[in-house]
Parts: sequence; C-alpha cells; structure tokens
Amino acid sequence: MNADFVIYAVINTLLVIAVAPFIVSLIKKVKAWTQGRRGPSVFQTYATLLKLLRKEVIYSPSSSRIMRVAPYVNIGSVLVASLFVPLVFVPEPVGGIGNIILFLYLLALARFFMALAGLDAGSSFGGMGSSREMSISAVIEPTTIIVFAALAFVFKTLNIFSMFSITSASGTPVTPTLILLGISLFIILVVETSRIPVDNPETHLELTMIHEGMILEQSGKNLALMELSSGIKLTLLMALLINLVMPFGLVTTLTVAGILIAIALFAVKGIVLGGIIGLFESSTAKMRFFRLPSLFAMAFFFSALTIIIEVFA
Amino acid sequence: MFPELLVTAALILLISAVFSLATSGRDLRHVRTVVLGSTIIASLLIAVVALVTLITNETFAFTVYQPFPSLAISFVIDRLAAFFLLIIAIVAGCVAAYSTEYVEHLDGGSRRNLLCGCANIFILAMMLVVASATTISFILFWELMAASSFFLVMYEYDQPETRKAGIFYFIMTQLSTLFVLLGIIALYVQTGSFAITSLNAASSPLIIVAFLSLFVGFSIKTGIIPFHKWLPYAHPASPSPISALMSGVMLKIAVYGLIRFLLDVFQPDIWWGILILAAGTASAVLGIIYALKEHDIKAMLAYSSIENVGIIFVGIGLSVIFTSVGLKDLAAISLLGALFHALNHALFKSLLFLTAGSVVHATHTRDIEHMGGLARRMPYTSALFFIGAVSISALPPLNGFASELLIFTSFFSSVSDVSSLLKVLLFIGLALFALTSALSAACFVKAFGSIFLALPRSAESGDAVEVPRMMLIGPGILAAACIFLGLASLQIFTLVGYAVPLPDMLFVGALLLGMTAIVYVFLWFTASRETRVSETWGCGTFSQQPATEYTGHGFSEPIDIIFSAIYRTRTKNERSFFDRMNCIFSEGKAEIRLMKVFEEYLYVPMARKSYRLAEGISRFQNGCLDTYLLYVFVTVVGVIIFLGWFI
Repeated sequence: MNADFVIYAVINTLLVIAVAPFIVSLIKKVKAWTQGRRGPSVFQTYATLLKLLRKEVIYSPSSSRIMRVAPYVNIGSVLVASLFVPLVFVPEPVGGIGNIILFLYLLALARFFMALAGLDAGSSFGGMGSSREMSISAVIEPTTIIVFAALAFVFKTLNIFSMFSITSASGTPVTPTLILLGISLFIILVVETSRIPVDNPETHLELTMIHEGMILEQSGKNLALMELSSGIKLTLLMALLINLVMPFGLVTTLTVAGILIAIALFAVKGIVLGGIIGLFESSTAKMRFFRLPSLFAMAFFFSALTIIIEVFA
Repeated sequence: MFPELLVTAALILLISAVFSLATSGRDLRHVRTVVLGSTIIASLLIAVVALVTLITNETFAFTVYQPFPSLAISFVIDRLAAFFLLIIAIVAGCVAAYSTEYVEHLDGGSRRNLLCGCANIFILAMMLVVASATTISFILFWELMAASSFFLVMYEYDQPETRKAGIFYFIMTQLSTLFVLLGIIALYVQTGSFAITSLNAASSPLIIVAFLSLFVGFSIKTGIIPFHKWLPYAHPASPSPISALMSGVMLKIAVYGLIRFLLDVFQPDIWWGILILAAGTASAVLGIIYALKEHDIKAMLAYSSIENVGIIFVGIGLSVIFTSVGLKDLAAISLLGALFHALNHALFKSLLFLTAGSVVHATHTRDIEHMGGLARRMPYTSALFFIGAVSISALPPLNGFASELLIFTSFFSSVSDVSSLLKVLLFIGLALFALTSALSAACFVKAFGSIFLALPRSAESGDAVEVPRMMLIGPGILAAACIFLGLASLQIFTLVGYAVPLPDMLFVGALLLGMTAIVYVFLWFTASRETRVSETWGCGTFSQQPATEYTGHGFSEPIDIIFSAIYRTRTKNERSFFDRMNCIFSEGKAEIRLMKVFEEYLYVPMARKSYRLAEGISRFQNGCLDTYLLYVFVTVVGVIIFLGWFI
C-alpha cells in the first residue's frame, strides 16, 4: 500500500459521501420541475439525513440481530465498493481493489443484508420488498455480467482502475461500442438503484414499492444509513458510466490543482447525468413487475450486440 | 512414515466399525462415543498426512495386496489425492463431533451403534477410493462406498418414504457403478493394464466409449441433471450427519474420479470439455431454480448441491476446453477454481446440513413454512447457518466467493483468445453462471428468512431451544474454516505455489471491518443512541400475527412466474354452479401442481421399458428342468462353434 492510495481512499470516500445526497436531491428536483412543481431544495437530503440521526431507533419485538447489524454492513460494503470506482483520481490498484467482479459482489453483499432485514420485522411489506428485490436482481444479473464482460473484453482488463486509466489517456474514446455499452450500463443503473420504470423511489404504495418496502421498518440512524448507502450506490454507478464514456478531467497523477479541476468537472458531468436520469424517470411510467424481464432482455440485447460487433469486427 | 499414518487411520476406522458391529446388541452411549471419537482421531491423522503432502508436494505410493502380478490393490497419494483426503478429513471430523450428541436424540435404540460403525466404513471407503492407484481398487472401494451409503440412507427403514428413497438411491448408485465399471473395462481393453496411467493414444471410438461411460457414471454419483433425482429423495430421508457426509464428501469423490481420469488418463478433445461445461451449466441453473421452489429444508439443500456440483463441472469443463485450445494458464485457473469450489462446497454444505439437522431436531419439522423466529431462540445455530448461507451465496469475503471468482475470471479472460463460435458459447455459459449465483443468493435469503427471522409459524417453532454444545462445535469448526478460506484465499494459493488472479481478500475483509467500525464509532458519538422496542406496523391490527408474514412460497412467487416455463406447473380448475348461466357458484376444486419433468418424462418411461424388457427375459426362466438343459446344450454348442471359428 502506498501513500497515493491512502490519499485516494480518503478523497474518494469523503467525496462520494458528500456528493451522494446532493445527487439524490438533484434528481428529485428535476422530476419536480418536469411535473411543474418547485420541489424541495437540492440540499434537502442532507437535512433529512441529519434529522434522522437525531431520532431514536425503533425495533420490532420480533426482530433479531440481523435488523441491528444490517445497516452497518450495508454502508460498510457500499463504502468499500466506493473505493473500487475512482471519481476524480485514478491511482495504481492495490491488492486487487478495482476488480469488477468483486465490486458487483460487494453490492450483492449489501443487498443480501438489506433483503434479510426486510424479512426480519415480520411485516408483509418488508417481505414483499425483499422478494421482489431478490427476484429482480437475479434476473438482471446475466445482463450485468455480460455488460461487464464486454467491458473487460473491450479494455482487456478486469480492473476498473485500469479501464479508467485507458479512457482518461485516450481523452475522447467515444466509440460505437462504448455508446452501446453506455446504454446497457444506464439500464443497469436504473435497475440497481430502484428507479422508474423498475421501482418508484418516492412511493410507499405496497403495489409498486420494492426498495422502499425493504427499508420500511428502519428508523432513526439506521434509516439514515440505508438511505445514504442507496445514494452512494447511485453515485458509484453514475461515476462508472461517466468515467467510461466521458472521462475528460479524470487525473492519474496527484496534484492539488488537478484534483480540484477534476472535482469541478465531475460535478458538472454528474449534474448533467443526474438531469438525464430525472428526465428519463419523468418521461416513462412505472412498468408492471412481470413486464420487467423484457426490459432486461433489451439491455441484454445491447450488450450481446456489442460483443458481436467486437467479435466479428 | 506417511503410509503408516494412513494405514493407522484406516485401521482405526475399520476396528471401530467392527467394534460397533460386535456391540450392536446393546444400546450404550459409551460405545457410540468411542466409535465417533475414533472417527475424529482417524480424521486428524488423515488431515495431517493430507496437509503435509499438499504443502510439500511429495508423492508416495505403496502396495497393500497383490494376488497376481497384473492385479494389485495399491495406493498412491499425490497432491490431487491429498486435496480430496483433506476434504474427507475435515468434514468427517466435524460430522463425528456433531454426531456425538445428535445420534443420542435419534430413535432406533441399538441401531444407532450400527449407524456410527457403518459411517466409519463409508468414510474408510471414500478415503481408499481417493488413494487408489489402480482402477481395480478404485472400483472395489467405489462399490464399498455405494453399499455402505445405502445402509446409511436406510437408517429409518420403518418409514415408507425412507424405503422408497433408499431403493431409488440404490438403483441410481448401482447404475453409476455399472457405468464406471464399463469405462474401466474399456480402458483395460485399450491398455491391457489396471494402472491409472496416461493413455498416450489418439482418441479412438473405444477411448470415447470409456470416457462417456466414466462421465455418465460420475455424473450419476454427483447428481448432474438429468441423473440428479436421487439427491432430493435420499437427503431428506437420511439422518442429517449422513446427508452432510454424502453431500459434502461423497459427491466430491465422484468429482475426484472425473478429474483424475481427465488429467492422468485421457487426452481430452474439445467437445469433451463442451459436454462437461454444458452438463455443468444445466445442472447449476436448473438445480438452483428447483431449490428455490423446495420447502423441505433438506431437499432444498440437496438441490443446491446439484447446483454447486454444476459449478464445479463448469470449472472442469472450462479447464478441458482451455487445455485443448492451448491456454494453459487459464486452464490451470479454472481447474483450481473447480477444486477450490469442491473444498468450499464440502465445508459450507456440510455446515448447512448439520445446522439444518439442529433446526429439524428443535422444531420437529422439515417444512420451512412451519419454522420462523428461530434466530432469537437458537442464536448460535442461526449464526452458523448464516455463515453457511453467506458462503454459499458467493458473497465476499467468504470462501464461496473466492472460488466462483476464479471461475468468473477464467470466463472473462478467455473470451479474447478463443475462436468466435467458442466465444459465443462461453458468453452464454457466463450469463447462465451469473444467473445461478444471483438465484442462489435469492434462495438463501428466502431460506434464512423463513427459518430464522420474524415470528414463529408453528407452536413447535415457538418452543424451540438451542441445541447442546457438541452440536455447535462441529459446525462451528466448519464455519471458521469457511471464513478462514475466504479471507486467506490468496495467501493459501501463494503458499502452495500457484499465482492466481484473486484480490487480496484479507485486505478487503479488513477494509469492510474498518469501514463498518468507523461508521459505528462516528455514529456512536454524533447520533442519538436511544432505541425503543415497539410493535411492527400491521395496517391497523392490534398485534402482529404469524399469518400475516411473508411466507417462503410468497417469497419465491415472482421467480416462479418468471421461470414458469421451466417449472411446468399445471393448474387445474374445476367448478360447478347451481344455475345454468354459471353465476351461482356451488363448489370447485383448484390445484396447482408442480410437474416433475424429469421423473415423468425420463425416469418413469425408462423404468417401464426396462421392466417390460425384464418381463420378456423372465419368460426364458420357466422353471422346467428340461428347458434349462436345452439352454446349457445350446450354449455349449455355441461356444464350440465360436472357438472353432475364431481361435
């Protein structure tokens, strides 16, 4: 482990924690505008999280240790996963950090605990959420792996750090392959972060909710942790997409000026992508649960197409 | 020194088995404790031999009995054999420790002595199969393994379902022996010797026959789909330690057989690898899909074994494919992945079977819909089961993830180097492999959630209490091994001299712990520490009822519907009405039945055909002496003519 990596770890983790609530609010703001509302402030999520930290935690009498442990494991694994996706500065990978499969499975670890916590309180909403979440994540998994395999195929590496180094070195690598992969990654982002048309992050209706159902029994600081970790997950997947398709500004050497410029550029790109996500969510309706596999099939098609282009090109 | 240690272990197992048979008339706890204690000692000896051989990479051979020059019962312990001996030793030791308490709670009086003794013979047979240096001793101990495991499955023979399961298992296991024997005979015809050595010959029809027979034989034993049906019958019927031994170890012995013959005897063609890969992928996907539908805890674990054996076969298949296209490094990685997964599956599956046995012991049911709330009532058992569930769902940083990562990596790295057609095939395999591991996470969320979380769904489950200490120590060691092998995976491979593309899981584990700890400490000082216990919101009902909880059936319903084409559920809906316009409903019957596809379309027709064939043949046996004399006469004449013409 070298000094560069330690500095990277601190910068990246703090940045991701700082940015995540903003992006969540930003998307809400865009959606509010498209609906003709003013919407809450873009700093609202920070206030909500701080408010939750001051509240007491309520546990169900039937709940076990899973309920108490899950929020911490969840945030822990998402934060470790955040080390795998450099936001602004790409150091040399250390000890296998940046492995794309490990990244996916760290997110799966977080999901595993969240789904169990959903079942723990014995409420039927939590069970419904867990069941749907695990089903959806199982059905999207082949697509995700194929997209990541296609990335590994295009960049000839399994490490996210090396992929970013390649894209940042070439400046504007927007090739047809990457655009297709970008579309698939976008669909994966929408699915993994429980957004419309897969899930509705704003509703608590039992007919529609998935992610919100699972964390319905969480309260106080535990709820804050769950909300923050889902925000971080959104930020990470957005950063993955941004730094693969629009890498300009990403630095590979450590300078204060370079980092500051990179942060500024990342903020701009993040706002643009957040706007796109908000517009996309506003322009589609929530899909019926059992029609989702066809959406996933579309993502699968794009990634398969990419591979065929690469294979026979 | 090593042969002596191994022979000592074998003798300890044999003598204790004889001892238990000799004392089978008396129902004494001491006898069983002595027998199981000697199993633990023998396992320790085997483990020492295996570990030293693995690390030093020395090979030693010795012959025990040689009646003819060409026929010998001889043994050789090399690294591969030592690896599987290690699997046997760890699981057998932990199962024996668990059984010291478990057998005392079984029904059956002095029959329990036989159970312990027979289990020792079973362990001995598995150990000798792995150590065999000749095909003749391989098949000999293979059959001993099959026979002793049959007796173990039949332990509760007074139950009709056990008898059915036992007979089913017996037929399947004999079929397996038959095919293995056929393969070995074909090899003997090819080489003229019983030694397990390289063929050094291009593939001929005879060699292909040998491979296919061995492949089918080993597939039946490992439960590769479509030869899998005995697993979900035999495992629920047998006592839990036996299920743990059979699923954790015996399946691996067949895997060992396949790897041994592929590496040391054959020079595989690429289509052999594709065949193994396809069989493995089909078993992995279908196995876990069926496991999701199963609500008998032990049958669920049995289906999940089918899935995991499928994953091991995927690794072996990839290794064969890469060897034949000349990618040596990737072949090594995928074979190491398969072997590592074999060890990991042995550990977490026996852990899960043992803890499932504790749960069944505490709740008196195998149906997970009648469990629930056990996490508060059996805290240690639930923690152990949880570790097993996390491992089997391939979540970092535990061991299941490390081995699946190796297979994933070889998939990912291979696609740039192989021909286009193979690329497409590998991508399909990769997609299905990913589906498998995601579904297994769903399956074990459902299993853990239904068994251990929320409110108890039956009175027995509500009254469950934690099991005695010995029933925690055995699984406890297995759980510790799961954690250790996951965290230290990279270091272990480096120690034995393989460079594998694994991330440093110790580092990742430390990061996970560190991040969680930082968050915990930070919140401890900044956030409110107040907690309150209050009723779950129940939409206005006064108190929470178990009936309103999400059930296991409900949990897997979305997956049922998405994969309904595979499940082949049949819905029947009969209604009758009072009036002619079909408005006033009088009575009706609706049923949703899961079709047993393989049983209805493969097993039953096969069984009917062979039954009809046997009926035809039995007509020759009419009980009349004159007819039999005629047969003898015709045979003698036939033999004379044959010898006259051909010799």
